[in-house]
Amino acid sequence: MSKLRMKKIELIAMLTDSKKIIELLQRRGVVEICSNNDEELMDTNVTAVIGEFEKFRSTAAQALEILESYAPEKASLADMLEGRREVETDTFGKEAMKLEKVMNASNDIIRCSRLIADADSSVSQLNLKIDTLQQWSNLDVPMNFKGTATTSAFIGTVPFPTNAEDMEAQLPEGCSAEVISLSKEQTDLFILCRKETAEEAENSLRKLAFIPLSENDRRTPSEVIKDCRMEIAKLEEEKKQAAEHIKKLAEHRDKLKFTIDYLQMRKDKYEALSNLGFTESTFILTGFIPEKYCEKLKKELTSKYTVSVTYTDPAEDEDVPVLLENGRFSEPVEGITKMYAMPSKADVDPTPVMSFFYYLFFGMMLSDAGYGLVMTIGTAIALKKFKLEDSMRKTLTMFRNCGISTIFWGALFGSWFGDIVQVTAREFFGKEIGSIALWFEPMTNPVKLLLFSYGLGILHLFLGVAVAFKMSWDKGDKLGAIFDALPVYLIVIGVAPVGVSMFTDVDPTLKQIGLYVMLAGIIILVLTAGRTSKSIFGKFFGGLYALYNTATGYLGDILSYSRLLALGLATGSIASVINLMGTMPENKIVKLILFIIVCIIGHTANLAINLLGAYVHTDRLQFVELFSKFYTGGGREFEPLTVNTKYIKFKEEKSHE
Amino acid sequence: MSNGIILALIGAALATLLAGIGSAKGVGLVGEAASGVVSVDPSKFSKVLILELLPGTQGLYGFLSALLILNRTGILGGNALELTTAQGLGFLAASLPIAVVGLISGIIQGRTAAAGVSITAKKPDHNGKAIIMAAMVETYAIIALLVSILMIVNVAV
Repeated sequence: MSKLRMKKIELIAMLTDSKKIIELLQRRGVVEICSNNDEELMDTNVTAVIGEFEKFRSTAAQALEILESYAPEKASLADMLEGRREVETDTFGKEAMKLEKVMNASNDIIRCSRLIADADSSVSQLNLKIDTLQQWSNLDVPMNFKGTATTSAFIGTVPFPTNAEDMEAQLPEGCSAEVISLSKEQTDLFILCRKETAEEAENSLRKLAFIPLSENDRRTPSEVIKDCRMEIAKLEEEKKQAAEHIKKLAEHRDKLKFTIDYLQMRKDKYEALSNLGFTESTFILTGFIPEKYCEKLKKELTSKYTVSVTYTDPAEDEDVPVLLENGRFSEPVEGITKMYAMPSKADVDPTPVMSFFYYLFFGMMLSDAGYGLVMTIGTAIALKKFKLEDSMRKTLTMFRNCGISTIFWGALFGSWFGDIVQVTAREFFGKEIGSIALWFEPMTNPVKLLLFSYGLGILHLFLGVAVAFKMSWDKGDKLGAIFDALPVYLIVIGVAPVGVSMFTDVDPTLKQIGLYVMLAGIIILVLTAGRTSKSIFGKFFGGLYALYNTATGYLGDILSYSRLLALGLATGSIASVINLMGTMPENKIVKLILFIIVCIIGHTANLAINLLGAYVHTDRLQFVELFSKFYTGGGREFEPLTVNTKYIKFKEEKSHE
Repeated sequence: MSNGIILALIGAALATLLAGIGSAKGVGLVGEAASGVVSVDPSKFSKVLILELLPGTQGLYGFLSALLILNRTGILGGNALELTTAQGLGFLAASLPIAVVGLISGIIQGRTAAAGVSITAKKPDHNGKAIIMAAMVETYAIIALLVSILMIVNVAV
């Protein structure tokens, strides 16, 4: 249970077997390889090979990404939960032989997507050209027309609106102007004059800020536009063909996925090789392995290859990785521990400590049996129907367990989709049903539940202190363990009756006893908390400081458990409001229809938002209130050399479990 | 309609208004930060969405308190009680904790969550830590909600 014991492995084998042995270790996924730092041994330089694999892998990955955007895979939710495709080991070998074909397909896909991108940019350029030429489309001479033997022509724009007569008036005798297009800002003109007056005309035009058309094209504008349109149509056709081609290549999708994984594995293998130490004819591998896999791996290795495998205990100062293992009840919560931090060498695994309270608090915050049923049934179906990844399975199991706890609390508080039972009975059957709570409805007596929440909180905190006590005790600091834990217990237990008396009546003798218990706790704390200090002043002030810390710290911690009540109340009240809104109309049939619609939408939204709230705040109670008592974290997660694939997995992969 | 009922209504309005504004502002802040992340990596959408939802709860708490006031005073059922001015003031006072704390904590939680979006962007595996940091702020909104509820439930009518 909890943290697995790690052993150090040292494996010496023949160089010729190195790749096969690494492959075997990769399949088994139980060894984390350390890099060789013995300078007498040689390294291999495989950077080039790794780079090559990475290059191919990223090409295939890019091709797959393009494929997804042009021919998206139809993936249902069921497929997403399905997990990776399973592949037999021999099929793997066979498919790996087809690498070249798949790489050709990838390159083809990438080429097509480039073609499409290029065509896209050409099309937008052409469209821009069409836009600018549109205003000249009435011009029926070539755009570079300069005139005939006896005439000169000017094609261009003046920056103001005008008409042919006005222009002709401002130009020398015998010029003719034609307005090609006219807008508020400018006028496009075609001006023709005799050769002799050309210079004069040009001067007058310059004064009018005439800008000649700078196209040097022998075609007329409308011809150019027509040609551009044809060009665009051609490009569009090419684009369509390229897209079709990509879609046709979609049949390679599975092979692409396979190739990406295959290359990733090869890369990992070579990276592992680069960590080994070599001599002329042997290689040495060092690493970490969980103790429980030791014997099996040794047997397998020695039966197949000429190897020497030795296991030793890791040295004190070594950075030993951590692998968690818990029973069926606690295992689903491991993800929560990992989210905080892996346990360091000095820590215990907090997963089994918190698992019970995790489920309990989650259920109490959601606290609606209807919602709990939805959660439990939904996750149970998913767990049964789909082949899930390990981490996904754990998370869903955690939510299933939380769902069961939610049903438990919901039933105690009589909340089934809020007060849906009472509402249905009253509105549709005309019967008044009272509370169906097995215990009591929080809304009728919130103070009772508040005190109960604080009580649970105190138990939760005491559990944390107890774990800290056990850790110190096991380390040999028995006196310290007592002095740290005992005053906390005494003070909190002693103060409790006084706290409760603020809300409700408490037997005065109980209060009196509490006072003495608290005083005893305070005295022990002040006398012992400063024990590490050398001077007498240090001891005294250290004690006072600890008293202050304990008082404020635990007060804040305990009050923090108010959220158990508050979030529970919020779920139930919003659910009841939803039911109320659904039954507003008078007409029974309208009411029924509205009721069903409002309930489905409203309860889904309420469940979603309160699920998030319950999850976040349960985490918080564990991380802040519980973990601060005994847990620091900061360990490194065990990262074995394994088959790190995204799309496929091997049938025999799980054989080590 | 008595003065008391109007005061209680003002209380319900304040709880919805202020807490709602706080949440809207907070959710908006996170949304802006989150859009930047999603534009680079759309697959992070679900992760940043959770962060964006966190400051949304204050508005919900305000809404809940308002409904409790409406329920207690009978306005929701259509038969408003005849409240004295003192009772009305009682409901108004009861709405203040969640109204004011909801407004401010919603905005501040939004800022914390928006900063947390960068954790999600750079280290998606540590998304949970960003959530916890933002959830710290929420504690005070929860306490305010609790006090508001206790007050609303216990005003004598």
